[in-house]
Order: sequence, then C-alpha cells, then structure tokens
Amino acid sequence: MCDIIWCKKEVGGKDCDTINYLDPYCFWDWEGTINCAECKTVYYIHMIKGFMFKGPEERPGEEPDTSPLYADKPFDGYSNYRDGIEGRTRPYQCKPRSWLTGVADMVKFSIRGRPVRGWRPQPPSAGLAGSFGFNWDIQKLTPEVWEEYQQKLAAGEVKDW
Amino acid sequence: MAEKKDVEINSRADTIGLMDMDVRPYPVTPPPSYEEVKPTYEKRKALEFCDWAEDSFKFEKRYGKDESLGHLRVLDIGLWRLGHKFCASLFGEAGAEVVSVEPPGGDPLRQLTPFGREEYLLENQETGEKCGMEFVCETVNTHCVTLDVETPEGQEIFTQMAKNVDVLIDGMPPGYMDGLGIGYRQLKAANPKMVYIWVGMLGQWGPWKDKQSKFGQWELEPFASCANSWVHNTGLAQDLLPRGKGGDPTRSGVWLADYVAGAQGFLNACAALYWRDELGNDGQMIEVTGAETLMDIIDFDITWYGFNASIKGRSGGWDPNLNQYAWNPCKDGYMMIGGQTDKLWYNIGFCLENDYDMFGRLIHEDPFLKEMGARNALHALIKTYTLTTRWLRDTNRVEAETKLMAYQLAAGPLLYIDEVAEFPHFKYRPWQYVHETDYGPLLIASSPASYQLYAPFRAKWVGRDLGFDNYEIFLKWTGMTQIKVNELMAKGVI
Amino acid sequence: MAKDPRVTRIEDLPGPKSKGEMDEMKMPYEEYCKKLFDVGNEHTKPIALKGIRWLSCTMYIFTPHSVANLAELGAEVIKIEMPRMGDAMRHTSPFNECYLYPLHDTRPMTGTGLGFTNANPNKYFLTMDYHIPEMVDIFYGLVKKSDGLTELYRPGTLDKWKMSYRYLSEINPRFIYVWGGGFGYGPKIFGGSYDILGQAHAGLASITGMHEFMGGHATKCTNWVIDWQSGNLITCSILAAIHHRRKTGLGTMIEFSQVQVPTRMLGHTLPMYGKFGIVRQRWGNWDTQLAAHGIILCGKSDFPDADNPQDQFCARYVMVSAFQDQDFAELCAITGNKGLLDKYKAHKDRVEGEAQVEIYAALESWAADKSRSEVAKILQDAGILAEPVRNDREVYESPHYRERGTVRWLDDPLFGDMLLHAGYSCGLMEKTPRRINWHWRPVGADNKKIYRDLLGIPLTQIQEWYDKAWI
Repeated sequence: MCDIIWCKKEVGGKDCDTINYLDPYCFWDWEGTINCAECKTVYYIHMIKGFMFKGPEERPGEEPDTSPLYADKPFDGYSNYRDGIEGRTRPYQCKPRSWLTGVADMVKFSIRGRPVRGWRPQPPSAGLAGSFGFNWDIQKLTPEVWEEYQQKLAAGEVKDW
Repeated sequence: MAEKKDVEINSRADTIGLMDMDVRPYPVTPPPSYEEVKPTYEKRKALEFCDWAEDSFKFEKRYGKDESLGHLRVLDIGLWRLGHKFCASLFGEAGAEVVSVEPPGGDPLRQLTPFGREEYLLENQETGEKCGMEFVCETVNTHCVTLDVETPEGQEIFTQMAKNVDVLIDGMPPGYMDGLGIGYRQLKAANPKMVYIWVGMLGQWGPWKDKQSKFGQWELEPFASCANSWVHNTGLAQDLLPRGKGGDPTRSGVWLADYVAGAQGFLNACAALYWRDELGNDGQMIEVTGAETLMDIIDFDITWYGFNASIKGRSGGWDPNLNQYAWNPCKDGYMMIGGQTDKLWYNIGFCLENDYDMFGRLIHEDPFLKEMGARNALHALIKTYTLTTRWLRDTNRVEAETKLMAYQLAAGPLLYIDEVAEFPHFKYRPWQYVHETDYGPLLIASSPASYQLYAPFRAKWVGRDLGFDNYEIFLKWTGMTQIKVNELMAKGVI
Repeated sequence: MAKDPRVTRIEDLPGPKSKGEMDEMKMPYEEYCKKLFDVGNEHTKPIALKGIRWLSCTMYIFTPHSVANLAELGAEVIKIEMPRMGDAMRHTSPFNECYLYPLHDTRPMTGTGLGFTNANPNKYFLTMDYHIPEMVDIFYGLVKKSDGLTELYRPGTLDKWKMSYRYLSEINPRFIYVWGGGFGYGPKIFGGSYDILGQAHAGLASITGMHEFMGGHATKCTNWVIDWQSGNLITCSILAAIHHRRKTGLGTMIEFSQVQVPTRMLGHTLPMYGKFGIVRQRWGNWDTQLAAHGIILCGKSDFPDADNPQDQFCARYVMVSAFQDQDFAELCAITGNKGLLDKYKAHKDRVEGEAQVEIYAALESWAADKSRSEVAKILQDAGILAEPVRNDREVYESPHYRERGTVRWLDDPLFGDMLLHAGYSCGLMEKTPRRINWHWRPVGADNKKIYRDLLGIPLTQIQEWYDKAWI
C-alpha cells in the first residue's frame, strides 16, 4: 500500500515505465511476488507496515502470487489498466454491479419499468427564477421517452415491484 | 499527587483499584485555558462572537438553567436492550420524570459485563449492589422500580401508574403487554392523552417481527442491522483483505440500531406531544424499530437499488461518493483526510508533495482526476489512496494533522478512548467528564444537547440500584404506602 | 352529561362502545397494529407539526437531516441554497454514476446525485445569496414568519452578516436557532465537520472492525452514520426546545457538535477506561458481553449464479445468537460441538476472549460446507435465533418491509419513479403519520412560491434579482 512499483524494465527498446499501485490494506503487511501489469515481469516484495522492506527484486520464470488492482503510465497520458484484466490486474469483486463505468448512468426507467428522470440533458422547463411546479409533464417535454413507456406498458414490462 | 507504591500483580483481580479515578485522576493533563484558546478566536476575527458563545453555552453552567421537559412523566418497561433505555435517557436528560419498571429479578442487562468479568461490575458505594457498566451508563436520570407484571396485582399497579403518564415506552416483545391486559389498547381508555411508544428491533407486526428463540431468548443487536443491509454494506472488501480475515461484512462495535431507534422514539414522541398539547389533541401509539430507523439513514442505498439494480458493497475506510474522504493506515494508527472540492483536493496534493513529490506528480498530472465527480471512480480511489498511504506510512497522526491543517484541510487522527478523553478540545468543551455517581466517580459522556442557551440536557444521576425508588414512586404515583410495598415485595409482586 | 341517575348511557360505561371498538379489542394484536398504522393512507391523516415553519441554511447531511425529520413530521421547511450551485451534496453520487436531472435549467449537463437522498424530502427550495445586504433584509422577513432555523456556517460568519441568534432573537423572540457543526466552542472551533471525522475522532472507529490479531483494520460504517444520527439528536433538541417555548414564550440557541455524538453512543467504553484504565478494542463480528452472539462465515453463497457480485460472492453470512444456556446447549448439539458445551457450560466461561475464538472457529468450521440459507435453516429449525445478513436487493424484496410500507415506490412529482426507504416508518405513528411528498426539488424550485406568495415580492423584482444572481 502504500507504495508503488515503477517498472523500468526495458521492453522492445524502451522502458516499461508503468506504475503498479500496491493498494492500501492489502499490501500493508505482505510478502510475495507480484507482476507488472504491462510487461508481466514478476517482482518479489516484502512489505511491513507499508514499507518496502525488501524488493522489488525480479524473479524471472516464477508465477506471481498476485497482481496490482490498478496501473497507469505517466508518459503515455496516464493510460491505464483497471481491475480485472486477465494476466495483468487482479479482479475487484466487491462492486455494486458487475461492471462500473465511472460516469453517469443515463437511466430512463426504474427497475420496475416506470419513467425516472435520470438522463441528461433535460429540456428546460423552469418558470420564474428557476421555479417548478409539482408534476413532470414527460409527455410534453420528452415525448420519445413517453412513447417508449407506452410500448413497455403494452408489452407487459411494467410491474408493481 | 502521585506516589510510588509497591504493587504485586498476579492476576487481573490485582489490577482492580489501581486505575480508579481517585488514584489516577482525570484528566491526566489539564484542559487548555481560555487564554490559550483566545488566539484561535482572534485569528478568525470572531472573538466577540465566540466569547458570547462560550458564555451562552458553557457546559459547566447547565445545572443552573431550566429543563425543557420537566412537565412530563414517562414510564418505561423493557429488558436486555438499549433502544428503549436510550429513549428514556433522552427524556431524563431533558428533565422529565422517568420511571423504569423491571421485574423483581432485574433487567438481565444489569448482569452483562465485558468478557463476563465480574471484577468490571460497578459497585454501589452505599449498598454494595453490583451492576454492569452498560446498564449504568444508559440509565440516566431514571428512577428504577420493580414490578412483576405477570401477576394480577402487578398489572393492576401498572395500570394505575399508566393512568397519569404522558409517555409510555414499551421495549417488551410484540404483544407481550397487550397479552397481559396492559397494552396500548387497554390503557388508552383510561389515559387517552398517553403517547405510547414501542421500541424494538424489527417490529410488532409483519413477517419478520421480533421473535424469540425456542427457549425464550431475545433478539438483540446486531440482528436489526443485519436485517436492513447495514452490516452487509460495512467492512473491507474481500479484494482488499482476505475473506474471513477482515474482508467481511462487519457489525458496529456498539449496538448501533438501538441508539438510532431510541433517538427516533424520542423525537416522534415529542412531535406527538406537540400535536397533543399545542394543537389540542389526544395521545397515540408510535412504533420505532432499530432496523427501520437505521434503514432511514443508510444513505441512499435502497434507492440506488431501485435506480439501476445496484447492490451496495463494502468500501472499507473509503467512501464511493467523495474523494478524498477516507482513513488509511499511517505510521502509528489511522489517519482521516477529507477534501472533495477542487480547492481542497489540490491543497492535499500541495501538502503531501512537500514530503513525497511523486504524489503531486501522479495525482495532479492525471487528466482523469481533474473532474471532481470522476474522482469517485473505483480506480481513482485506489490510485489516490495508495499514494496517500505511501505518505502516511512515514507520518504519525500528530504530524499528519499539523501538516494537513496548515493547508486548511479536514484531517483527524483515529483516536482510541484514552486519547479521546485527553484530546484538548474534548476537555475544554467536555465530551466526557467525571460525574460523581452512586458507584463512585465515573467518566461518562456528556449529552451532545448540553450546549444550549436556556434548557440544556444534562445527566443528574447515572445508574440506579434495582428497585431503589420503589417506596418513593409507588407512593407518589399510586398512593401505596410502605407497609403495602413491603407486603407486595414479600409476595414477589414488587 | 346525563343528570338523571336512573338513565344509563353507554358512553359512561367502561369498555367498548360499539361493535367496531369491540372488534378492535378482540382482534389479534398483530392485526390490530397493522390496522392502527394503516400503511398507505398516511396523507389523509393529521399532521403532527402543523403550523411549524423552519428555515434550513444547511448543506450536506448532518444539518439538513435534522430538519428533514421536521419536514417528514409535517412542518413547512424552507431550504435556502446558493444561486445556481445549490447544496454541495447535490454533487455527490456513488462511483459518479447516479444522478437525476435537472438540477437547474442553466446547467443541463449537471444533475443532483443520489448522495442528496433522504436529507431533503418535503422541503421547499429557495435560492438566496446572503452576502448581499439587501437579501439579508428579505431574510429577516422570513425569520419573522418562522419558528427557527438550522445553520452550519463557521462560527461568527452569520454574526458578521447580522444573521446570528443575537440579531434574529430581537426580530423574533420566539425564534429557535440551531448551529450544527464539527466541534463547538474551544480550540478546534473552526474545524471542519465531517461524519468520517466523527467516527474516527470520537472513538467509534477504534471499536469497529475485525480484530487486529486476525489482520483486521478499523472500519468505517457504511453510511454517514454520525451525520445522520447527530441530525436525529438535533431534531430531539429542537422539539424539546419547542416544548420549552410553550412555557417561556422564548426561543433559544442550541450549539450542537457532530463529532461529539459518537462518544455518547459508546456504551461502557468510557466508564471502563475511567475506572479500570482499559482501552476498548475492536472485537469484529462478535460481542464483548454475550456469547455466542456473532456473525459467522458460511462455506457457500446463496446465489452463486447471480449476475450481481454482491449476490454471487457475498451472500454467505449468518447472524447467530445463542447466549442463554439452553440456546447454547442446543447450538452445540446441532453443530456437533458437544465438547464446546462441556468446556463452556456457564455464560461467564464462554464469553471470555479465548473461548469466543474457539467457539466461532468451531461454528465456522461446521458451516464451511454449507450455504448461508442452509446454515440459517438448520439453526432455526433447532429453535435457535439465526438470520442471514441481507443485502439491498433482499431488503427490497422483503415481505416484511413491503407490508409495513418501509420500502415503497414514490412517484416523485418532478423526478418520477424512485424507491423510498423508511421515510414513513422510521416512526410509525397512529394518528399523525410521517409522510414523504417528494425526494427533493431542483435548485430554486420554489422561488416564486416563497418570494411572491409568502413574502409579497413583485414578480419583476424577483426576475431582477434572479438576473443579478442574487437569487
């Protein structure tokens, strides 16, 4: 955790220059081998209370015990490897959904199939000084979504729960 | 004045009495003086206002001021749990006359003590009666009487007492009081002004209502926080620590749902009393459960599920909504750093790169991290906290706090209770203080509502012997004199 | 009232007065409660805090929640936000993914994040920039009509703008003024107020989390629990102050520290330290005062083929409670641990540290080849208290919460179909039920309603202020 492995292995004529992040908690007290997410070089490290007590030492030919959760490349505009890429990064399973995008999810219908105003942009509809009433005239403001809702209703996709 | 003593310690029992408040006085170091605090007020050009604030809210002035709910009478009955007790304590702290009814054998909570160690039971200095610390500190300003409500005489007495109460707190199992003929629907006829609050875990009704084991054992926390997803959502991910060794759903160290239910019980009851007194209406029944009151404040987790079927997972010491907003391990414990807005975010970088220049570079150069919302992406959290902890491993909590606060950042060390008790601010405006109780001087937590201009909450007594107030309360509330009390005691009714 | 003693009126006799009442007295208690709370019909019933108007100069969760309780109980709460920007909490959302739109017509690509949920239901949303002295005069007009306010600014800030209690109590002596912040008077008075700081600084984090000996760490509660619970306790203080005001006719000022609240909820931690010098530590998923009473890991998840990783990987925990002697004996019997029973017959023995380590290891070893529901069922069938640790989906699908109206769908007037949790039932009230009208509204959504209707400001003036970004 607490630390990074800046891999400088020469690969194809230039330095790998990938930062492998040793995430907190997991690597606070840890010993074993870990691969570079980019060039797959295996390094041995021994971390004690967040300090790199030993390593990183190259261990050619060995299978890594684990992989980083994240790696990026400062000389490549911070292109990165996120969690769960086979052979490069280890998976992060404790997520709220099987995939996360990190950007706003444009939701138009709730899980039970009724319209919810989760997408942008919404057409302007405020009155004086930003005032709003107490209803969402979806049919007038976004008729295409209203249409879609009608179709869902007809197809029996809208439930009570 | 400390004196040297020769002490031989062969067992835990030998340590008892060595740390008592009269031997090792509290606090170890005195709180800062006003003169030491004054420059802080002056630096922000708020001296006059802060002086006024100190004068108006000073903790030490609380006993001289009025009480807000001194006109109320509260009756409380329950066992084992803290929910109904915290609710009763709040009424007591606000000045109400609170009476708690226990069976003649006492609330089993009195027997609970950490790791079952009897040497940690508190002893009443006058009577020698022992009581567990948990029960003592959550029995605030409460009179204790005993009554066996499973006897006809007990029910009769209870009914008489309930006739003139404003609030009745019921912490018994669903339908228990009703089955004995002393529940809401039986009592309300004689006292239509009564506000009746049931405080429990999951409910008086419904498929998951409070239950007992085959042998009559009660459901206690954390059943409530396990039933509303709170436990599932708390803890470190199995990806950060191995499952079974820390990467698991985790309960709170305290019986959290009880405290939340107790607070909601109090506030809903006060709203009901307002409707009754100010607006000229009757009493009513209220039901608060640990599971639901805690679910009410579980952020937005269930709403999130309805939005796009997300099921919240554990995020350990981090927060998926704000970055930075977390604690991470440091040289001598854990350090919390907060700073979500751009200004604070960059201040964190400027502070940390003084010692670890890689932080500034890797964080500030990364185009992805420029947008505030984007910093909440999972990989952004991993990157940020890896680098932060790299800095923290070299820094102890005091150093970290000093350095970060110089950049106006919210930063705080994770403190253990001995450190909490000695933290300068918490002594100056007492978070905890020594109260002279019937069990000797005890360090107890002050009520957070003790800092008010007119009617601060306060503790008057903490803990009470079993049935201590039998004579006084039965006399004042039912006209029962001591001969009758003794008679009923002999019969086991009281 | 009957005067003739020969006449007996049914109203004067004890007991039920009608068939309806009699049925009520006779029906099973559970049914009675269900009928009493009449889930689904809350809006037609009276309002507990009718006539109370409260101003909310708040942000984030802590202080907004303190007045959200009031709003759910029927008070009229006006939230005042900075023009165009709104409350900073609108800009928080889990993993940056969930927002509702619009936040404000001038910022169509910015939404209000789900982080804003639950702290702002039923409120009316006003924008006002109090840096402008003219606006402060308008603010005074609101104060004259209100019962109180809650604010969170650094101490001295509102005083500088002549909006502190000292000024407002002159205008309205019945005004109840609440300051909610991190620390209150003292050396750290200007310290920032964060929930996570409260958890860390006040002792709660030091006792929550897996034990050090097994590699665990101090753990943050999933939610901003201290923000929320402190908000609850402020509401308690507000309502007590409202009652006190009936006697004195005067408002008051309350200074409330959020970071202090966890210390009040630590149970025996403080007295134990004060009297015995013992510093309480983390004890993971077990209990320091009861055994067996803990959460155990089972071998298999209940939903190994689920799409969602929370179902797939983490539905593996059961809360088991058998601390009374008979229950513990049964637990040992059913899990094939007779040896444990012989060793730890008395509760005093089995609640000791080493005993708990042994007991839970044995239970988890027994559960290692079973799924969560198998474990729960075996124990429940044996009459022991055991319940699965449930996730959000299971809460959604729970018949218990549906029947009680705890989890229900809300057709929000502006944002559509949103799921509510516990707004109605964090206090079921028979006669004056709590109710939720809306989750929240856009920034300045009620400017016209409040400036024109409540304060009598001409429409042209409102427009002028809006154009100048004063509102």
